[in-house]
Amino acid sequence: MSRKVVEVAGKRLSLSNLEKDLYPSYGFTKAHVLEYYSRIAEFIMPHLKDRALTLKRYPDGVEKEFFFEKRCPSHHPAWVKTAEVRRDEGEQMTVCLANDPETLLWVANLASLELHVPLARTSSPETPDAMVFDLDPGEKANILDCARVALILRELLSRLHLSSYPKTSGQKGLHVFVPLNCQEATFEDTKKFSKAVAVIMQKNYPDLVTAKMAKELRTEKVFINWSQNDASKTMICVYSLRAREKPFVSFPLEWRQLEQLAGQGDPERLQVIYSEAVSRAEKMGDLFREVLLKKQKLPHL
Amino acid sequence: MWSGTISFSLVAIPVQLVKAVKPGRISFRTLHSKDYSPLARRMFCPKQEKIVPPDEIVRGYEIGPDRYIPITDEELESVSPERSRTIEIVEFIDMKEVDPIYYDHPYYLVPLKGGEKAYRLLAEVLRRTNRAGLARFVLAEREYLVAVKSTEGALTLITLHYSEEVLTADGIAPKEGKVAAKEIKRMEKSIKSMMAGFDPGKYADERREKVMNLLKHKMKEQALVEAPAVEEEEGEGPPDLVAALEKIMHDVKKSR
Repeated sequence: MSRKVVEVAGKRLSLSNLEKDLYPSYGFTKAHVLEYYSRIAEFIMPHLKDRALTLKRYPDGVEKEFFFEKRCPSHHPAWVKTAEVRRDEGEQMTVCLANDPETLLWVANLASLELHVPLARTSSPETPDAMVFDLDPGEKANILDCARVALILRELLSRLHLSSYPKTSGQKGLHVFVPLNCQEATFEDTKKFSKAVAVIMQKNYPDLVTAKMAKELRTEKVFINWSQNDASKTMICVYSLRAREKPFVSFPLEWRQLEQLAGQGDPERLQVIYSEAVSRAEKMGDLFREVLLKKQKLPHL
Repeated sequence: MWSGTISFSLVAIPVQLVKAVKPGRISFRTLHSKDYSPLARRMFCPKQEKIVPPDEIVRGYEIGPDRYIPITDEELESVSPERSRTIEIVEFIDMKEVDPIYYDHPYYLVPLKGGEKAYRLLAEVLRRTNRAGLARFVLAEREYLVAVKSTEGALTLITLHYSEEVLTADGIAPKEGKVAAKEIKRMEKSIKSMMAGFDPGKYADERREKVMNLLKHKMKEQALVEAPAVEEEEGEGPPDLVAALEKIMHDVKKSR
């Protein structure tokens, strides 16, 4: 087993199994994963900050078993920041906060390819910083159908004076984020609101949209998953890798890109692979910056 | 997790404490058989026949039937020991004298930066002498008696039970009857024929393996169930919100 001890910002980090191929059909090793996260660090860090991190670990690569880790592993280095959160059952749980690049690399070294975070920070667990529409295509639908739904959603939201920001899920779908950042609306509010929107969308575009979870009901449709607006749910963090055959990234898009591509035939064109993610982020900056900054209120209708 | 220093006389070794065992128990969620919704535990008051919210729950020490001494978190905290930053070794004992009945929970001590050399030295000397350092140490609001010993070049820390927690063996061993020398010889012989080195790798939790295989098999067969999404309320949402959205939706459709 290869081990390499590096020092980042004065903190010692022991990296292991660097040559292990975590995406065997593509050829992408632990070393590549670490390099990706260190290059994307400046963009992803603000989106991870102060949020209870859920690790999704693939110790033997994307083709083998994975496991979720919500609790911060007990063997974590002393410098990893943690927070205590309360779970549904009232039980306390210690979670990791990826508040510095060292922690990000430590987490990546655990083969946690995917980084999942809740919509609220640990200091204000009841009030989400954003409302989300998780657009999940059925088996016979694809990301271009999601793009169509996203564009309708955007128009609907903008007439409610709400700006929204899309990103790829890195899998098959799209996520539309509506920044709030006012510490005002609760998960109950965002869930109620997003559900009403999903139901209206389903009613008006019945061939394209469903607001129901059941898989058999939605093979050709896009499921608007409003139930992600919940304190106990997490979303894949923007700029996180996904565990698929290829190292695709959950990457922010411009509405313009969706408009251009929504009509065309190749769903793969919307996917962003790790190398493109780094070069696009370096060129365009963080397209998801406003999701953390923009203050918006849900209209009291 | 705890980090601090092990110390005695002039030695101070910075270390971090990590768990040395991971219980292999497979845990299951409890689900409602009707729709596979995960179930939650609630505190129930049998007298009022209702669920008690967390802010109405207090602790009581039971002193007799229906008689309690209520105690608050603050009161308990006021008698909790201060978190310690050091594991101060007060004596070095022979580990053979400690009956395993006293062993509570094992941890590894991981050397922190600058402590590696002293760590190696202590581990080596403890190994050669088969001694363990005895210390008192506060972990998670409780003070423990601990033994620091050497295991395969690493330092391990074992929390020990206090003597008052260990139940005596008095009255367990039968007093009556003599054992014949011939019988002792015979049993010694049969034990000798079964002697072996301790190789824990030879044994595995077979039930755990079987359960895991069963689960893997069921996973392949797609014998999975999905809990329904939590629906707070039936219907579309607050009527005024729905009406406003309907109107906007109408405009959106017209403009597209």
